[in-house]
Amino acid sequence: MNEAELAQGMRAARYFADEGLLTAVYLALTLGRPLLVEGEPGVGKTELAAVLARVLDRELVRLQCYEGLDAGQALYEWDYPKQLLHLRATGVDAAAGVGEVYRAEFLLERPLLRSLRQPTVLLVDEVDRADSEFEAFLLEFLGDFQITIPELGTIRATEPPVVVLTSNRTRELHDALKRRCLYHWIPFPGTERERAIVRAHVPSIEEDAADSLVRAVSGARRLDLLKRPGIAESVEWARGAAALAANGDPWPVALRRALGLLIKDEEDMAVVHAHIDELIAP
Amino acid sequence: MTATGHLRGFLSALREEGLAVPVARQRDFLCALTTVPPRDVRHLYWLATATLTTSVDDRAVLDPVFAAWFAGGTLPALSETEEPGAEDRGGGGEVTPADQSAREGAGREASWAAMDHQATFALTTLTEHQILARLRRDLPPAVPTVRSRRRTPARRGDRLDVRRVHRDAWRTGGEIVRPRWRRRPRRQRPVLVLIDVSGSMKQHSRDHLRFAHTVVATCDRAEVFTFGTRLTQVTAALRKRDVDAALSALTDVVRDADGGTRIGPSLLQFLGNARHVSRARGALVLVLSDGLERGDCVPLTRAVRRLSLLAHRLVWWSPLACDPAYRPVTRGMAAVVAHVHELAGVRDLHTAWEQVRKEGRWTSEWTSEWTSEWT
Repeated sequence: MNEAELAQGMRAARYFADEGLLTAVYLALTLGRPLLVEGEPGVGKTELAAVLARVLDRELVRLQCYEGLDAGQALYEWDYPKQLLHLRATGVDAAAGVGEVYRAEFLLERPLLRSLRQPTVLLVDEVDRADSEFEAFLLEFLGDFQITIPELGTIRATEPPVVVLTSNRTRELHDALKRRCLYHWIPFPGTERERAIVRAHVPSIEEDAADSLVRAVSGARRLDLLKRPGIAESVEWARGAAALAANGDPWPVALRRALGLLIKDEEDMAVVHAHIDELIAP
Repeated sequence: MTATGHLRGFLSALREEGLAVPVARQRDFLCALTTVPPRDVRHLYWLATATLTTSVDDRAVLDPVFAAWFAGGTLPALSETEEPGAEDRGGGGEVTPADQSAREGAGREASWAAMDHQATFALTTLTEHQILARLRRDLPPAVPTVRSRRRTPARRGDRLDVRRVHRDAWRTGGEIVRPRWRRRPRRQRPVLVLIDVSGSMKQHSRDHLRFAHTVVATCDRAEVFTFGTRLTQVTAALRKRDVDAALSALTDVVRDADGGTRIGPSLLQFLGNARHVSRARGALVLVLSDGLERGDCVPLTRAVRRLSLLAHRLVWWSPLACDPAYRPVTRGMAAVVAHVHELAGVRDLHTAWEQVRKEGRWTSEWTSEWTSEWT
């Protein structure tokens, strides 16, 4: 797949990447390196992996990181109850049973192991939430794409997974991890691209309504808000306003009434209400 | 010059400008150039950012060097809209005083002068070492706890440790003799200490900083900031074994000690940074300040309200509150007291230690006598 096909595929999947992101994704695919994407919440970091899975026709395997994530939840776990039941049911003697219960059918796949078994897109979501022990462990995995299970041997990737890591920059990641990854920062989109995104996701929105919505969103991002609205919020807002407009509200009124989908904080809402006439023309 | 020489020159120029790209990533960049021949300068720029940078901040170095070597001055804009940095939000502008002549009630006056000099913090005496030792002993158990996400083996627990049961069963021929358990242990909440080092706190900041040193030394997850006219992260400087060594390391870092006060804007600057905010979430937040804010109190109120919503407990230690006759009537404190979970008087290590010993206040549900009494 060349770069133009990739761009077309992503656009067909309703993901509008700019040139920088496209280049980074294409490099990640051709060089076979993990891609670390950062950006404000709600600019489509997680969605990127989902779209890549669709475009490449691979399964999406998602590993959501959190503090306290350990190998048992990320790699594999033996299905102990099943092993014990098997022993009780077949009544094998202990010596023969050792090999008997350490077979693939007693293995529970967790995301990282699963991503090796078949061609996948592996999404390691919000890696900054995991602790640094897990990061070190991930390093090893991303280095050679193999997992060693003492009882079964080493499992290698038949086809290395396409790896996307996302981070919200709440914590500085280790240099060693960043060195292994390609890096891209996803900014807020420009008005043109945001309009295209909104129109693609909410086809029922009218042209000039989409215009004023995108203008309002970029205006709101310039205000001093605790949480600046991302693309996810503006699409949700458009969807909500479209539902109200279908009920008979004129567009400006619908946009105002659905404002709760864009702004999710009481203090921010007060700030936005103070500037409401500049943001949405009545 | 050949193309290879030009690229080599570009990479070494990056190193000279302070962006040290490891060899592995340089190789990535060159591999990228051979596998994906750049269409134009813009495309080359994106190839360079994906392979050579590891953070959006690196572009501050990359952009001018790239422009000098390849673009002849023109570069694609970093973003179509605006700069991405979260740091630039909140607490940005200088706050102009609404009423400079306003008297602030009790306590020393806060001043406007921004300072830039090295303050010196005096050495620790022997009895103070004893108090510090007691603090080290009493502080960790006083910090509120939260249930960890990671289960550990335990004598009694809420979930069967099937792995261990299974292991044990091998010894007894597949027979389960005794169940084993796992549970989620309790661990310390993070501790965040915000220390006022302005002129009005001059005689207390030395002890406050030594208290902060104890916090960093004994608590699992601690973060310390100082603020006067600006916000400074001092955790790394305090991470020295010896108190006096740590404090003398601070003199190089804290440049605004004994200067003016801008509590509200400093706290807003803290809250404007997503990385800092994550330190306050669910944490025990200790603010060591007299709350004497000059001029506009609105930023202070906003910041404290947000901080109290983020924190598990927001505790405000003020040297003025040591006086039994003290009432938080200054405009700053009157606004703050409604949002803090506890307001207490701490002027030196001894009073700090006394507060720490009343640990029940932090761990049990709070009923603020201060709030009910004065609001």
